[in-house]
Amino acid sequence: MPATMPKQRPLNAAVLPGGERGAAVPPQAATAPAARYGAGLFLRVWRSRWFIALRSFAIFVGLWALLAAWVASPLQLPSPATVFDAMVGLARKGELLSQTLISASRLGVALLVAAVIAVPLGFAMALSRELNAYLDPIVELLRPISGIAWIPLGLFIFGVGGTLPVFIMTYVAFFPLLLNTIDGVRDIDRKLLAAAKTMGVTRKAQLVHVVVPAALPSVMVGFRIAFASAWAAIIAAELIGSPSGLGFSIEWYRQLLMSPKVFSFIVLIGVVGYLSDLVLRALQRKLTPWAEGLGIDA
Amino acid sequence: MSVQMIQPKPAPKLRLKGISKEFIAPRTGQRTLAVADFNLDVQPGEFICIVGPSGCGKSTVLNMIAGLEKSTSGSIEMDGKAISAPGAERGVMFQDYALFPWKSVRDNVGFGLRHGTAGAGMAKAEREDRINHFVQLVGLKGAESKYPHQLSGGMRQRVALARLLANGPDVLLMDEPLGALDAQTRLVLQVELLRIWGETGNKDDRKTVIFITHGIDEAVFLADRVVVMSSHPGRVSAVLDVDIPRPRTEEVRLDPRFAELSEEIWSLIRDEAYRAIA
Ligand SMILES: Nc1ncnc2c1ncn2[C@@H]1O[C@H](COP(=O)(O)OP(=O)(O)OP(=O)(O)O)[C@@H](O)[C@H]1O
Ligand SMILES: [Mg+2]
Repeated sequence: MPATMPKQRPLNAAVLPGGERGAAVPPQAATAPAARYGAGLFLRVWRSRWFIALRSFAIFVGLWALLAAWVASPLQLPSPATVFDAMVGLARKGELLSQTLISASRLGVALLVAAVIAVPLGFAMALSRELNAYLDPIVELLRPISGIAWIPLGLFIFGVGGTLPVFIMTYVAFFPLLLNTIDGVRDIDRKLLAAAKTMGVTRKAQLVHVVVPAALPSVMVGFRIAFASAWAAIIAAELIGSPSGLGFSIEWYRQLLMSPKVFSFIVLIGVVGYLSDLVLRALQRKLTPWAEGLGIDA
Repeated sequence: MSVQMIQPKPAPKLRLKGISKEFIAPRTGQRTLAVADFNLDVQPGEFICIVGPSGCGKSTVLNMIAGLEKSTSGSIEMDGKAISAPGAERGVMFQDYALFPWKSVRDNVGFGLRHGTAGAGMAKAEREDRINHFVQLVGLKGAESKYPHQLSGGMRQRVALARLLANGPDVLLMDEPLGALDAQTRLVLQVELLRIWGETGNKDDRKTVIFITHGIDEAVFLADRVVVMSSHPGRVSAVLDVDIPRPRTEEVRLDPRFAELSEEIWSLIRDEAYRAIA
């Protein structure tokens, strides 16, 4: 029990920074009042976004160190310092980078495949009542089944290798992308389509210039959720069904009873997930700069 | 020529014959008769203002002319042909603007020219000139790259106005187009609108305008005829000719005839207006 508990914490906490709040909440909101007090450099640093994030990480590492001292078992919970040492060692050998790249490229392939299928399908389902009537029950039936449930079957079909984690992640990423795309298309403001029609815009151009941009913010949110779910699922898939990657490395070093190295990879999963989400958020702001104002506008 | 001697009244640009509109709520099946037996002939180049209490069916009538809403009964014709779908020749300025949130001011104004039928045969430079012209006209130069959510209500309304005009429709259907503007800007744009419409020019070059407003003085200042509607259901309760000569300038507002007409319209809707808020 104590061995699994700390393992869960960093994973969940770090993979979904900001939780499911979605993109509409600008992260600066929390720091805005700072400007009123503003001049002092100290205050500005104290209230900067980066400092606030770092402060939280420091508290987290501090608690971890205390807990490790209390548990006093390097196997069950190694201290931050030993994990840091292990990480440096693994980084020197190039293992951290190579395993991260393997997992990340699987994630990339999975997200791409899921997006290529789910986004067009979502548009089609939202625009065609009939297609939706056929597919919606199937989607609703499959959606509650966790991707991890397919691992045993996947092992029979794909065997141990790179295909299984990609398959599981594609499955996991598929549903948030599909459902958010459908929502985005359905929620389109009818008045905008009416406006386009009265300007003599053809149906095809309406799709390109009205429906697609109107749905884009919701698709982007779906993409972020898809990323987070797929990244969380990859570990389970690689833990069991793959000869490489971050999940595999965790299982490998567990069998060798090398807890600090196990923890190194756990930390890495969190860090990669966190940083990727920051990148995705920036991308979201860049691609849909108007989405910020939609809440106020509507 | 004999044709000239028996010259008939020109064929109406728009003919609304016995229009009614009943809304049926999809789930409850509840029926609302929004418009009943609405008749109106609009001559080419005529400026019509529609006034009436809130909820009397003004927007509904406009949407039916635009082809966005089908009438439950009656017929709507433009140039003698039944209207069945929206088209660029009937431009609409919506009550809530309907600006595209993902497009900048400039791209909103140019939307119809770039993606619609109106700009199809136009050279790129000509199109861009046209967009520039209308952005400038409504005083939005400098705000061209802003998005709608970054604009004030009045600015948004001006974007919608520029978008409508830039697309060059034959018939302008405008739903309270100046309602969100401050009083001063509204007065300026009223005069400007008459100029764009072609008040000073040849009568045959004028566009046909249907203009919904809550401002009685606005209606009298702008219109050739004012259509007064009553509600529950929405009907034409009176049509008044505004016999104030054009071009109209600010002095018109001091004309005793202006006050007379305003008073007459007000007396027609006063009772209902009081009842509506009672
Ligand atoms: N889609 C709809 N479904 C049901 N009822 C509707 C619908 N649209 C309008 N109505 C009803 O029809 C009537 C007329 O509405 P409309 O929007 O045309 O009024 P209006 O004269 O434009 O009012 P305002 O001056 O406030 O804009 C109202 O009673 C309204 O409740
Ligand atoms: Mg209205």
